[in-house]
Amino acid sequence: MTALRFESVSKRYRITSGSNSSESGSRTKTHKSDFWALRDVNFEVAQGESLGIIGHNGAGKSTVLKLLSNISTPTKGKITINGRISALLEVGSGFHPELTGRENVYLSGSILGMRRAEITSKLESIIEFAGVRPFIDIPVKRFSSGMFVRLGFSIAAHLDPDILLLDEVLAVGDYAFQEKCKQRIAEMHRQGTTMVFISHDLNAVRSVCQRALLLQRGEVLAEGSPDEVIRRYTETAGFHQRPQITDERRVAEVTGVQFFDANGNRANGFKTGDPVSVRIDYLAHRHIPEGSLSLYFLTSDAGIAAQWTTSLCGRPIDMQIGPGSVEFTCDELGLQPGVYQIDATIEKNGTAEEYEWQHACASIHVDVGKTRGSFYMPHTWRETSHEYGNMLESLAQGING
Amino acid sequence: MELEQEILIPPADVAGPSTRPVKVIRPPSFSPGILISGLAELFWYRDLLYTLTLHRVRVRYKQSALGLGWALVQPLAMMLVYTIIFSIFARFPSKGVPYSLFVLCGILPWNFFQTALSTSATGLVSHTSLITKVYFPREILPFSYVMAAFFDFLVACIILIAMMAWYHVGLTMQVLYIVPILLVEVAFISGVGLLFSAFQVRFRDIGIAMPLLLQLWMFCAPVVYSYSDVPKRFRSLYMLDPMAGIVENFRRVVIQGWGADLRLLGVSVAAAAIVLPLGYMYFKHREATMADVI
Repeated sequence: MTALRFESVSKRYRITSGSNSSESGSRTKTHKSDFWALRDVNFEVAQGESLGIIGHNGAGKSTVLKLLSNISTPTKGKITINGRISALLEVGSGFHPELTGRENVYLSGSILGMRRAEITSKLESIIEFAGVRPFIDIPVKRFSSGMFVRLGFSIAAHLDPDILLLDEVLAVGDYAFQEKCKQRIAEMHRQGTTMVFISHDLNAVRSVCQRALLLQRGEVLAEGSPDEVIRRYTETAGFHQRPQITDERRVAEVTGVQFFDANGNRANGFKTGDPVSVRIDYLAHRHIPEGSLSLYFLTSDAGIAAQWTTSLCGRPIDMQIGPGSVEFTCDELGLQPGVYQIDATIEKNGTAEEYEWQHACASIHVDVGKTRGSFYMPHTWRETSHEYGNMLESLAQGING
Repeated sequence: MELEQEILIPPADVAGPSTRPVKVIRPPSFSPGILISGLAELFWYRDLLYTLTLHRVRVRYKQSALGLGWALVQPLAMMLVYTIIFSIFARFPSKGVPYSLFVLCGILPWNFFQTALSTSATGLVSHTSLITKVYFPREILPFSYVMAAFFDFLVACIILIAMMAWYHVGLTMQVLYIVPILLVEVAFISGVGLLFSAFQVRFRDIGIAMPLLLQLWMFCAPVVYSYSDVPKRFRSLYMLDPMAGIVENFRRVVIQGWGADLRLLGVSVAAAAIVLPLGYMYFKHREATMADVI
């Protein structure tokens, strides 16, 4: 039995932009342009199944979520939802700071579609799960941010929907609470709840989902087993996806970025601590006597996680007119698990003057490797207890003697 | 363009022990069917309307020393000011009852209208973050403001009762008319509130123009004066204001002990009967794309 079905769903956004000012007040000077966030999207999710939806930023993931949760409506097509649907999108939506924790449970619960009687019967369990019992009757404005988020998630976790929509919500609270959330979600799935999981966290998609869907520019690019779809996903960002147009007016351009593993094979997936090498091909239209190349590793929220650059090594690159290439090597990859988008730049050595900034020219995903933690530090070790003991012994002898 | 949703309950044997509602979301299209589907959904979410109303009342008086007393202070202060201006300075006629009581009877239904309309009109825009994150029937937001204002109105009626006791003004059977009068007022405010709040999502002008509009409107309703003070040649135009029938009749049946002016009330009933369904349909039609434009 189908839990939900998208039939030829398209969604258009009207982008109204002021030509002179960004204020929306001056309506006479605005022009409209259309943006199709989704085009003819078809998919089905069976009852009890868990589907992961992945894709780069702007691929249409959030739009799917908005349509599913009925926050917005499609421009074309039809969505059929069979059962009660709940979204764990923004934890703590509808909380009012002046109200007590208990009052907010009622408020937030009703907004999420629970009846008052239902909330009353689950109240104890909600408070227990959130672990905020001593504070439940004080205004939530005095809550710590952790308590706030835990209470918000706890309400949402008690919705008992037939279909559960999950965004990147697993990253709430401390480690212990996250584990509790994951257990709760796994338990709901065992009880037959259908899941739609929208995430950048490929490991989570792989472990939670039975099937995955890859969106690109509003269209379904691939559908199938998570492993298969994730492989497609990491391949889509490279140059082979876009037409290569050389532009003579530019000084220089990046024409290729390729990642290689320890054996020298092309790869897009690595583990933390793995050796990695990257080859950057460029094309100089003019002679650049003092150039440098940089590589940026961007996280899914567009933050710079790391940068590799030739300019740190002191020697500028003499870029002659025509093609050239540079290879970076890294003995141990320090990035934490996740998906990284790669930007490559060519600039005048030692200055901020950029000749080229190639956005999203590749992407890699990093899985859990050697160690835990938020980043990897290369390290070595040796056993010292023996030497230390000897040293103490000789020291004692010296004092006695 | 309009939101169309169907909520069908499949037979129990298909759905298992707990009935699964089937929801179909289609692109907005125009049909009066949303009036029914909208109301069915609103009924399902009735607890939210109750909770949000309770929430509005609580939040308004939380951490204020006077608390609910503020619901009394405002009409009391207005009554004093209007009595000083229009009774002591300007000597308005007040049809056999003390002017302070006379004007209070105008202030109470008017204040309800003013508070409900101004808060519900901006109700959606002040909940932008909620609207873009969670789905629930959006009309509950303006409705909850109307309900909270109605609660304030009921509290403020304590002053009216106290004043009537003080001046020995008794109630007659005519007072039963306040039930239909208030129902019409709630319906009219809800309709206008739905229209204005949906406009406000696209054009913030509504919120800016609201204080001026309400001030002008107040003087077009018999709040500080009586309908019988309006020159006869203006009356046919004057009675077109739906609030005139509500305010005038509230005063007639409560303190003057007269029957309702059915012609005036008829205009208000007609206005509410047109504005509420139209406002609701327009609102539901806008609701479909509200999260995209807000």
